[in-house]
Amino acid sequence: MKLAHIILSLALPAALLAAEAESYVEHFDTIYNSLTVERRGSVVELRARARGGEALESAVDLKDPLMPIVAYTRTLYAGLFIQSKPQRVLMIGLGGAGFHRLFTAAYPEALLQTVELDPKVYDLCRERMQFKPTDKTPVTLMDGRMFVKRNREKWDWLILDAFRGGFVPPHLKTEEFYRECAARLSDRGVFISNLHATTELFYSDIKTIQAVFPQVVLFETTGRGNVIACAVKYREPNIVDSAKWPAAESLQRPHFAGRLDLAEIRKERIAIPTGRMRNAKVLSDDFAPVEFLDALKANNADGRDK
Amino acid sequence: MSLFAFYVVVVTLGILSMGFQLLASRLLSPHFGSAIDVWACLISTFLAAFSAGAMIGGWISNLEFASRRRWQIGWMTVAIVALAATGFFGRGMVDTIAISLEPGITPILLSCVGLFFFPVTALSSFTPQCVQFLATRGTPPGKASGLVYGVSTMGNIAGVMLTAFVLIPHFRVSTLLHIWLGVAVVSLAGLLRLLRAPSVP
Repeated sequence: MKLAHIILSLALPAALLAAEAESYVEHFDTIYNSLTVERRGSVVELRARARGGEALESAVDLKDPLMPIVAYTRTLYAGLFIQSKPQRVLMIGLGGAGFHRLFTAAYPEALLQTVELDPKVYDLCRERMQFKPTDKTPVTLMDGRMFVKRNREKWDWLILDAFRGGFVPPHLKTEEFYRECAARLSDRGVFISNLHATTELFYSDIKTIQAVFPQVVLFETTGRGNVIACAVKYREPNIVDSAKWPAAESLQRPHFAGRLDLAEIRKERIAIPTGRMRNAKVLSDDFAPVEFLDALKANNADGRDK
Repeated sequence: MSLFAFYVVVVTLGILSMGFQLLASRLLSPHFGSAIDVWACLISTFLAAFSAGAMIGGWISNLEFASRRRWQIGWMTVAIVALAATGFFGRGMVDTIAISLEPGITPILLSCVGLFFFPVTALSSFTPQCVQFLATRGTPPGKASGLVYGVSTMGNIAGVMLTAFVLIPHFRVSTLLHIWLGVAVVSLAGLLRLLRAPSVP
């Protein structure tokens, strides 16, 4: 007993020292972002400076890299209810690859192509957040819209999760861009977009997505201010009626256990806020006052999910 | 009265020049985004155009009257044609450049120079001629220069604030470019009329 006490008293400070040694905060100013990487124990966060604070871009627990730490990255899997066999996925916005690890473990045969604008984000993602791109998870350094314009492939999922300091660049919010995305979707492909639900921009976002995609379904990440929009370019079959979605259990993958509860995500479905959208304007390349709409209400740049 | 009209035109040209920079950024953003690389190319292009315009305008203001009138009309035409080209074909031109060239600084710079250098150079060429206008009416050259550049810079500030906080949130960029063209035609025609009296004996 005494020996155990001695060992514990020696081991505890050593463990604390080790944990402290593993904790750090680093700041990086890049051509596109002002970034902070903070490690606390095994969790590494990537944050970007935004209006009035920092927006959490991504996070990874190095002890369980498959665990989606940032809540909305779980909600992105709502796409499974619409297109349950994602074999080719295009993701615009890498961040800390918080979505990628679980996805590639669950769907090892799928291709997950990522487009990231900021080379420093890619560096930090590999060096600090231990993301290891493979031939199944290639990363291209390019503007997302430019990639979509030049790319001629078809994608089952096209995920738009590109932020710069908590804000989406205006050119990734327009009707023309969404049309370019729709053209890159496979016949039964789904467009998945991470939206801020806390500003007036949200209503214009949905209205713009609806202007391009005939069917749109929304999922709200509980209490986080993020809404994931899933949209398709076809009218039939119906995706709006959730009774026609596959059961959550049938979509389950072994790696999801303890990390992703699809039944809970199903419950995050919300109605389209038609009333609030009445006065919202469709955003186009010619008219996209994104910054102004995003400032009309308090943004979510207070350290919560982007 | 002609002096009041003169300052109105100087302010208007200031508004047009810098407001145009913000419209230019909106024209580029669908293809290149709006990060610091785009702004670096945009600001450099505008400064190069201001510089070229100032030198060209300085040279024109010392020509003999008939020749000066020809150059004034010539640069007014350049300004109007270039603004019209940007307003009507700008988006298509940027699209072509962005798709044809590899991503990087080259397509951004080429778009900036191709679309914005000539109209801004043409508009800027009238500033030294405005200084000359005041100087030939008895204002000492240093004071005339200070007045014109001071008033023009106030127009620049107004152009930036008005465009950023009032016009872009409420109007389409294409509509604003057409308005820019219309205002440029009226104000340059007015200035040309004001400058009609020979100023160099």
